[in-house]
Amino acid sequence: MKTLYWIGGIVAAGLLVGSGVRLLAHSDAQAAPAAALPATPAATPGAPLAGAVPAVTARADAGSTVPGVAAASNGQYQVGDQLKQSPTVTDKPYQASGKTVNGYQEIAWEALIPKDWDPMAPFKGLKLDQLTDDDPRADAALWKAKKYWKDAPVDASMEGKPVRLPGFVVSLDREGEALKEFLLVPYFGACIHVPPPPANQIIHVRSAKAVKNVRTMDAVWISGVLKVERSDSSMGASSYSMKAVTVEPYTAPDNG
Amino acid sequence: MNSPLFSTPPAAIDLRDLQFTWPRQSHPALALASLRIAAGEHVFVSGPSGSGKSTLLAAIGGIILPQRGSVDVLGQRLHAMPSRQRDRFRVDHIGFIFQQFNLLPYLSILDNVLLPCQFSAYRKQRALQQGTSLAAAAQALLAALDLAPALWQRPVTQLSIGQQQRVAAARALIGRPEIIVADEPTSALDSDRQLAFLDLLQRECAQSGAALVFVSHDLRLAERFDRRLALEQINGAARAGEAA
Amino acid sequence: MKILLRLAARSAWNRRFTLGLMLVAIALSTTMLLGIERVRHEVRAGFSQSVSGTDLVVGARTSPIQLMLYAIFRIGGATNNMGWDSAQALARNPAVAWTIPISLGDSHRGFPVLATNGNYFTHFRYGSNQPLRLTQGQPMAGVFDAVLGADVADKLHYHLGDVIILSHGMGGLGLTQHADKPFRVVGILARTGTPVDRTVHIGLDGMQAIHLDWEGGAPLPGVHIPAEFVKKFNLTPTSITAVLVGLKSRARVFALQREIADGQGYNEPLMAVLPGVALDQLWDVVGIGENALLVVSGMVVVVGLAGLVAVILASLGERRRELAILRSVGARPLDVLLLLCIEGLGVMLAGVASGLLLLSLLVWALGPLLAQQFGIALQPAWPAAGELQLLLWTVLAGLVASLLPALRAYRLSLSDGLTPRI
Repeated sequence: MKTLYWIGGIVAAGLLVGSGVRLLAHSDAQAAPAAALPATPAATPGAPLAGAVPAVTARADAGSTVPGVAAASNGQYQVGDQLKQSPTVTDKPYQASGKTVNGYQEIAWEALIPKDWDPMAPFKGLKLDQLTDDDPRADAALWKAKKYWKDAPVDASMEGKPVRLPGFVVSLDREGEALKEFLLVPYFGACIHVPPPPANQIIHVRSAKAVKNVRTMDAVWISGVLKVERSDSSMGASSYSMKAVTVEPYTAPDNG
Repeated sequence: MNSPLFSTPPAAIDLRDLQFTWPRQSHPALALASLRIAAGEHVFVSGPSGSGKSTLLAAIGGIILPQRGSVDVLGQRLHAMPSRQRDRFRVDHIGFIFQQFNLLPYLSILDNVLLPCQFSAYRKQRALQQGTSLAAAAQALLAALDLAPALWQRPVTQLSIGQQQRVAAARALIGRPEIIVADEPTSALDSDRQLAFLDLLQRECAQSGAALVFVSHDLRLAERFDRRLALEQINGAARAGEAA
Repeated sequence: MKILLRLAARSAWNRRFTLGLMLVAIALSTTMLLGIERVRHEVRAGFSQSVSGTDLVVGARTSPIQLMLYAIFRIGGATNNMGWDSAQALARNPAVAWTIPISLGDSHRGFPVLATNGNYFTHFRYGSNQPLRLTQGQPMAGVFDAVLGADVADKLHYHLGDVIILSHGMGGLGLTQHADKPFRVVGILARTGTPVDRTVHIGLDGMQAIHLDWEGGAPLPGVHIPAEFVKKFNLTPTSITAVLVGLKSRARVFALQREIADGQGYNEPLMAVLPGVALDQLWDVVGIGENALLVVSGMVVVVGLAGLVAVILASLGERRRELAILRSVGARPLDVLLLLCIEGLGVMLAGVASGLLLLSLLVWALGPLLAQQFGIALQPAWPAAGELQLLLWTVLAGLVASLLPALRAYRLSLSDGLTPRI
């Protein structure tokens, strides 16, 4: 009789644990798309390119014909997502607090755009509401605009500033298994068949100490002194680089 | 902690109004009004199976705590000690000999004999008074118990029953504990060896001044003892019918 | 405490046959667990070390991982080729600092042949930005010059000036050989610990030369162009496997990758792969298998532990007399528990240590084979931090498992006292 109780108890415990695991896994999968939705509309005002033209860059993967791109995600992030706040605090995307930690000031990606650069410059003089549908001038202006955004200039005044900001990793070189050199980009999926970020939204990071357990598209905080890399004029815009003093996994700050 | 040595301990073993029931049993296994064994006294305890012999030995050895009554051994109140202290007391002052399979087969003969000294600093110290080293003290005892030196290096499994029992006796006697408890030590021996073993045992106990509690069903051996106890008569629980 | 250790040791030695079997089981499972971990990390580190400072690997539009595996690690099947004019267009791109065109396909006695140009020796980096170094000789100059990787020279005992014959394809059987156009060893590279070591390097012109009278993988019947006449023909390659690209500014890599993917300026579909990202994707795919393997080895450890527990539990039956003796000489029930724990833990530790030894032995014996096949260098070494953690968990599991018989012995000795009911 006792044996039966034992067997029954073990079976019950197993079922309990199993259903618990199932619920956890299920809720994880559910939370990811649910949290992503409020983020995306809010992401557009933050995106440096959009400005007053949200329709043009609604989702970074818009127009991509590669199947599965829109569905690509990394657990909590979908392609085109920006970094999140802690979901218990708010579901607005990450905003820079401007605080200084260990001498490095926290900045947002927008701070890397020169203040006098107008993303809407290619559309100046073009009244979109007066054009007919399929007007070739609109397409020509868009093509020009894309090239304009690609060669977006860097802000020379950021040279030498000690800053701290979060972003997504694109692996370049490793030392053994640890990552030594990488690119930091503002949104998820920047190298998976989506339009790449403009030149002033990419930071070429060399880490002082190779970091372990970091893969492409992991979210990290970097702290270091920003440098502007000059380039010869034939090549177009310059770019940012940094010798990162610290590289830490991204945890949403509890700014509220 | 060592038991304090009084100049003249009142009694080796003093059991009073003892009652003990094993867990999950309905009747008590042991019910004694009084049992007193003086220091150095040799007592023969007889009784058929079921008369409570193992319970009595467990009570004397401090393995069990009676539900009622008192167990005083060498003046120490065993029933008031925590179990850790009782375990220590047992090895310090009592030596046990069982019916058979007394020895650990993976230890040498000398290591078997010296086992109590490994667990008790008190016994170890007293053993060192018997010889220049622990090994010497053990060897002296083995020799006194009629075991030839040639046997000492043999593995335990190669000894005869009689030889094993004598080694067991040496282990009980090393360090001169004040009480020796022997539970049917001769029952597995040939009849002609039994008396010889008893002689050796009693001689050694007399020499060290230890009290001897000899439990056996063989009444032939009872003649060698000054005092004989019939457990079925003094154990109220046995008389009352079924005992554990 | 010392007496307990001695008793446990002697008692275990007395039952050494059955306990020994369990020790072997635990050793094997430890070897498996640690071996998988070690190979996993070594392979990842080895792959990461194979290419450094290369911004893009450009090739025909196939699978990024397949291109990386074939072009950089010489593993797997050939991908589609890309045209030479695309390679030249790439070299002319203003964003590009250098390019290394490479072409694979032939072999020499099982070692892959890589055709490239001088840029390979000036721009290729591996490990922590280390350049290639020649221990003897110099890079290819003539059409039939060859430079050997360190392992090729060692294993086949080649020296400067030796003559080698290349085979078509990776068969290694020597059936389709370019026997009429032998190559001469003019240089030997220093050891790098990467697939470079087991590669035979020739010039792109050399590769073109040996295939002049071949078509579609077989020699044209009746056509034979002797070696001394090859220079009369145009030896610029028509197609190559891939191009390694280094940029002037690493931050521009996305723009160029986009350009290549969009196909502007190239008349064939091409693909540009970031090596770091492709490797990360490879590990994502492989990681699933690795995790499955780890889970399996974990289960094997559990099985070994279960066997140990069963053996000790089974032996308790015949050890009740022994426990009673111990109690009579002053052992507490807690001492009995400790005794059993020490025994279980001791066998566990001995098993784990044996497993480590066995692993080192296997690595020492099979290491060279792995190095030859995959260019991964496995050395017998002290366990790394991650492996030590695994070992610690295993030992802890053994301790917890041995609590089972220990607790049983504890309760037995409590209930048996001095007179066990056997």
